[in-house]
Amino acid sequence: MRAEQIAKVVPTAEGELAILAGIDLEINAGESVAVVGASGSGKTTLLGILAGLDQPTSGRVLLADHQLTSLDEEERARVRGEHVGFVFQTFQLLGSLTALENVMLPGELRGDANAEKDALELLEKVGLSERSRHYPRQLSGGEQQRVAVARAFASRPTVLFADEPTGNLDTATGQRIIELLFDLNKEFATTLVLVTHDDRLAQRCDRIVEIEAGRIV
Amino acid sequence: MKLAFVLRMAWRDWRSGELGLLLIALTVAVATVTSISLFVDRLQQALVSESADFLAADRRISSTRAIPDGFREEAAARGLRQADTMSFPSMVFVRDDTSQLVSVKAVSEQYPLRGVVRVTDEPFTAGEVTSDVPARGQVWLDARLFPALGIALGDEVEVGVARFKVSKVVVQEPDRGGSMYDLGPRLLMNLADVPSTEVVQPGSRIVYRLLLSGDAAALEDLKGVLPLEPNYRWQGIRESSPAIGDALSRAESFLLLGGLLGVLLAGVAVALSAHRYARRHYDHVGILKTLGATPTQIMYAYVAILLVIGVSAVVLGLLIGAALHVLIVLALQSIIPVALPMPSMRPVFLGAATGLICALAFALPPLLHLKNISPMRVIRRDLGGAPRSQYMSYVAALGGSLGLLIWYSGSLWLTAWTLVGTAAALLIFGALAKVLLRGGRVVGMQAGSGWRLALAGLQRRSGENTAQILIFGLAIMLLLILFLLRSSLLEEWRNELPDNAPNHFILNIVPEEVDALTDMLEESTERRGDVVPMIRGRVLAVNGIGSRTWEQQHRGVDAPGPSLRSERNLTWAADLAEDNTVVDGSWWPADETRALVSLEDEYAAELGLSVGDTLSFDIAGRMVDVEVASLRSLDWESMRPNFFIIFSPAVLADFPATFMTSFYLPTDQKRFLNMLLSNFPTITVIEVDAIIAQVQRIIDRVTQVVELVLALVVASGCLVLIASIQASRDARMGEHALVRTLGGSRGLIRGSLLAEFGILGIFAGVVAVVGAEITVAILQVQVFELSFALHPWLWVVGPLFGCVLILLVGMFGTRAIVSTPPWAVLRESEI
Repeated sequence: MRAEQIAKVVPTAEGELAILAGIDLEINAGESVAVVGASGSGKTTLLGILAGLDQPTSGRVLLADHQLTSLDEEERARVRGEHVGFVFQTFQLLGSLTALENVMLPGELRGDANAEKDALELLEKVGLSERSRHYPRQLSGGEQQRVAVARAFASRPTVLFADEPTGNLDTATGQRIIELLFDLNKEFATTLVLVTHDDRLAQRCDRIVEIEAGRIV
Repeated sequence: MKLAFVLRMAWRDWRSGELGLLLIALTVAVATVTSISLFVDRLQQALVSESADFLAADRRISSTRAIPDGFREEAAARGLRQADTMSFPSMVFVRDDTSQLVSVKAVSEQYPLRGVVRVTDEPFTAGEVTSDVPARGQVWLDARLFPALGIALGDEVEVGVARFKVSKVVVQEPDRGGSMYDLGPRLLMNLADVPSTEVVQPGSRIVYRLLLSGDAAALEDLKGVLPLEPNYRWQGIRESSPAIGDALSRAESFLLLGGLLGVLLAGVAVALSAHRYARRHYDHVGILKTLGATPTQIMYAYVAILLVIGVSAVVLGLLIGAALHVLIVLALQSIIPVALPMPSMRPVFLGAATGLICALAFALPPLLHLKNISPMRVIRRDLGGAPRSQYMSYVAALGGSLGLLIWYSGSLWLTAWTLVGTAAALLIFGALAKVLLRGGRVVGMQAGSGWRLALAGLQRRSGENTAQILIFGLAIMLLLILFLLRSSLLEEWRNELPDNAPNHFILNIVPEEVDALTDMLEESTERRGDVVPMIRGRVLAVNGIGSRTWEQQHRGVDAPGPSLRSERNLTWAADLAEDNTVVDGSWWPADETRALVSLEDEYAAELGLSVGDTLSFDIAGRMVDVEVASLRSLDWESMRPNFFIIFSPAVLADFPATFMTSFYLPTDQKRFLNMLLSNFPTITVIEVDAIIAQVQRIIDRVTQVVELVLALVVASGCLVLIASIQASRDARMGEHALVRTLGGSRGLIRGSLLAEFGILGIFAGVVAVVGAEITVAILQVQVFELSFALHPWLWVVGPLFGCVLILLVGMFGTRAIVSTPPWAVLRESEI
């Protein structure tokens, strides 16, 4: 994955605000990278752009042979479906779906016939096969994040993006999620890009990229 | 994306209750339209066919000329049933030279095509239905002719030069009420006997009628091809009995309006629940997009979900609508004696189309926006929020409702006024709501904590609350409008035909009989009208111009309407009757000595007469010149004696007049007529009780339908309220959970919710009353042709109603806010 001269400028009441200013970044397959920085440094925006959720104002992003910046939302969504997985700080499970259905979603969107079987296996891996019929509101924060991790791997992603995956969890639970994340990452040979404040988490990664005021330092 | 997955998504949404409200709203829209239009469709057919009894046919052609055979051939070619009648006044004689003026009606074998003839063997008893007409050589006589002529069944009478055997007493014939001026006692005879009487001579006053019945389209087609103008009048129920025609038209307008408002309300409920559904799915869509769902997939998915919901709603709505209408029919069966005809397919199409159009116009636009939700929303809440422009959804909703309304009402006029009323109300409401909210803030500063919280809440979401006041106000306004129209319609009808209106008239009372007759009536009846003098006369000249010439100059000789030259009933009066209004000139003082006359305004207008003209009358062989002093408007449907021409008392005081009066007699006391006629054999009694009863029956039935429609619309209105409260429920939940985590008690929350909904309700009530008064004023004057009146009580009832209604629905809709633990709310609101 490669990002070249990524800039993101947004209009505000006080004029234009440059959130990212000329980011160059290359991440190799299988590598794990932690993006760290203070609040408002632009790390989450960068994550969104790298993952194809958002478009930069200028610059190019290449992800698994696709130049994301020249695709429209329709095509970017297809690339995300094929290559990208997400874990979010606030879990982002669909409240109206059971744990199993949440994990099945990526498979169902792709039209996999085995979506349910795969999802059950993944839930087994994260230790929640007993609770597959439970709704998110019936699960604790740690359990919800484990479901989210299982869902992230359900799409067999090339790259997994994680946005503060332990930000909403206590230390012990957070630790278990980190272990899970890295175990699965190894098992599926996924490239991992995670945004975090958590030093312990950052230290587990192959490389740390620090962002300050929209630039890599 | 596979259909199976879309269906699964729909099922999961349904399971979570997200789609429930949308489905209910759509279903109610379909069910309301279906049940109302099914019922109206069938009832209209039934009412029209029952009202057709008044004509003894579906349509008839009347003329003073014989009906050409060509007419009959055209009618026969269209498969229509036909019957012929001839009506004319004639004298009937018995052997001892007693005679009586009668209204002869000669009928063909097929008579009547609608309604029934009742006959009996004893005068003044209830009759039995017969399917026969008098056989040749026989006549059937009105009960009152038996004492008047001193005859019994089996005796012979003479009409013209022919002799007939009296074989039955005719109690009722369907088209007797066709004209108040065909009032002599009835003699019914066979049409084939008319030539033998030789009474039909050139210049005889005969009305020929061709009765027709059959397929409505064939009738309309026939009307198009016949050369009717100017000598032949085509009459349906509306033309021949304005009272019933008016009641029917107004009821139709009202039902349509009710249905229309029901659709609008359901549409609003659909839009609200779709918006809420869409808003709750912003995050949902964001997550789906991060998982690889493309905008196209998202769009197809939600369109598919809407289709599934739409089709389910249509099927459910049609079933519920049909069931509802069957219930209505069952409930009203006892009072609907006619068998309801099978409904046409139109209501079903209408119901289905309503569901789909509601879904497309009201629910689709917010759902379509979902495809534009940015997936960034998932990690950056402040980005990619609600779609910016929603004008498309307003255009779609407006276009959709417009199309639906016009199709549904079939009336641009009614639709336009309803929309103008709604738009004006929205503008006024918006301004008023802002003012009320601002006023509330000022008051709120001094209030207790629950109130302060409520008013702060109201003012913080001032935009949203203005919108809510608008929606609540609109819903309540529509209810008030229907309620007001209903009561003023009913009142108007009741006033037209008071229960105790005189139902018998007596004519031909000679002056010497007046006192004795009045005494007898006072003894035996409860209510009587005034004794009014009556004298026959005709106009010879206007301003010195011969009346024939005048008539030719002013409207042509053969034009329909009252003729200037024909002999009329005249009267005189010192005081203006209470249901008459002078529209031009002035009424004379009681001691007026000049020769003046007052004319009915439409009669005057048709003949080109105005105040100041001089009319020369021939009254009992004497010439009288009078000046037109005033024009009056009067209500011909009031069942009171009314006159085109009224003289000032001085003019006719010396003329030999007869008198007329009216009285009320309940059906079970009809035998009193026998006694009356034995004592005063020369008077003529006219029974209009059957006509009144028939009109009243129809109006009663229409009233019940109107009430039913109101109930259906109230149901849609409540649905809008629930949808609207649900729509703002999430925001409220979050806010109140915060207040509670900050230490607010459950009581405080409940109190502030109570206050908030109460205030919203009162404000909405106030704007609803303003809107309702304006709309009703316009509708009453423009559409229903009723007089304008304000409703002071509404200003108390409206806000109170709004307050109670929204409190109830609001507290029901938000009971979860009070009972859900705050942490659960805050946690869920993150998802």
